[in-house]
Amino acid sequence: MDSPADEKAQDFVDNITGALQQGHSLDPLVDLSDGVHEEVVDLVPVIQGLRATLVPVEPSADFAAHLKTQLLENEAGLAARLRKKPARLHVAAILAVFAGFSLLLSRRLFGASSARDITEEPVATAL
Amino acid sequence: MQKFFARRSQYKTLADRALVELAADDKEAFGELYERYLTKIYNYVYYRTGNRQDAEDLTAKVFQRAMSHISTYVERGLPFQAWLYRIAHNLVANWHRDQGRRKIIALDDFVAHSLQSEAPDRRTEEQEEQKQLMEAVRRLPEERQQLLLLKFIEQLSNVEIGEIMDRTEGAVKSLYHRTLLALREDLQRGEDISAARRLSGSAARRQRK
Repeated sequence: MDSPADEKAQDFVDNITGALQQGHSLDPLVDLSDGVHEEVVDLVPVIQGLRATLVPVEPSADFAAHLKTQLLENEAGLAARLRKKPARLHVAAILAVFAGFSLLLSRRLFGASSARDITEEPVATAL
Repeated sequence: MQKFFARRSQYKTLADRALVELAADDKEAFGELYERYLTKIYNYVYYRTGNRQDAEDLTAKVFQRAMSHISTYVERGLPFQAWLYRIAHNLVANWHRDQGRRKIIALDDFVAHSLQSEAPDRRTEEQEEQKQLMEAVRRLPEERQQLLLLKFIEQLSNVEIGEIMDRTEGAVKSLYHRTLLALREDLQRGEDISAARRLSGSAARRQRK
């Protein structure tokens, strides 16, 4: 629990910081510093130093654009993109996949039997 | 096409909460949130890591993580901005822990930046003071560094800082005051040390003569 003197000091530095950030004059606040320990008033140069030192920086435009593209394109992956296509395209895609499987299956079945015929024939001849 | 631009301009007027709700299904809404917070998060990470390369890597991770968890985010007293900063804070903390880089952060980038941003006739003395202050800031405990960055770089209010740091407004004020006292003490110690070095240097020169 902070003492009333601590709370007064905290309010003082907080108000000074706010005034500096908004570009207001510090004079009225320093006038109100009666009762605030001199040690606290000495913090004003530290606050001014922090304000001058901690200045915002900008990310490079290339990085910002690249990251945005990366984020938004990743989200729109294949599944996400397919979900947003019209229903008729979904039906067409399902039919195409079904046809592909059927073709593979028929090739395997008929292809295997014809291959067996071919391999069996020379063996029979040799015997 | 017109619809697209109309929707984008509509997003600009929406509050974060509404955008977050849309962003679960709509990447353009997330894009708007990204535009709003990229610079803020980048600044925060940049000052916590001390170099642009790591700042870019970690900023990318913050937004990737936010995007992958946005559908599960529910605003229960924690605004989106605070949520994003917490992700950034956790990633930076992991970065410091994993790499053990906290003590060897390069300040070159910072110095280069300050040289670039000031007038050419800027006094070397001022640059040196800023460098010392920056080094003192980096010696502070993590939560105090975080507080200073949120206050000075992001210019957030004590209430907003409290939301991010999970503290009351009064606790933020108190921590800020203690941080300033610690910084001043550190700087004074630094001045004492450099004064002692100057004295010992001149004593050594006298002896040589």
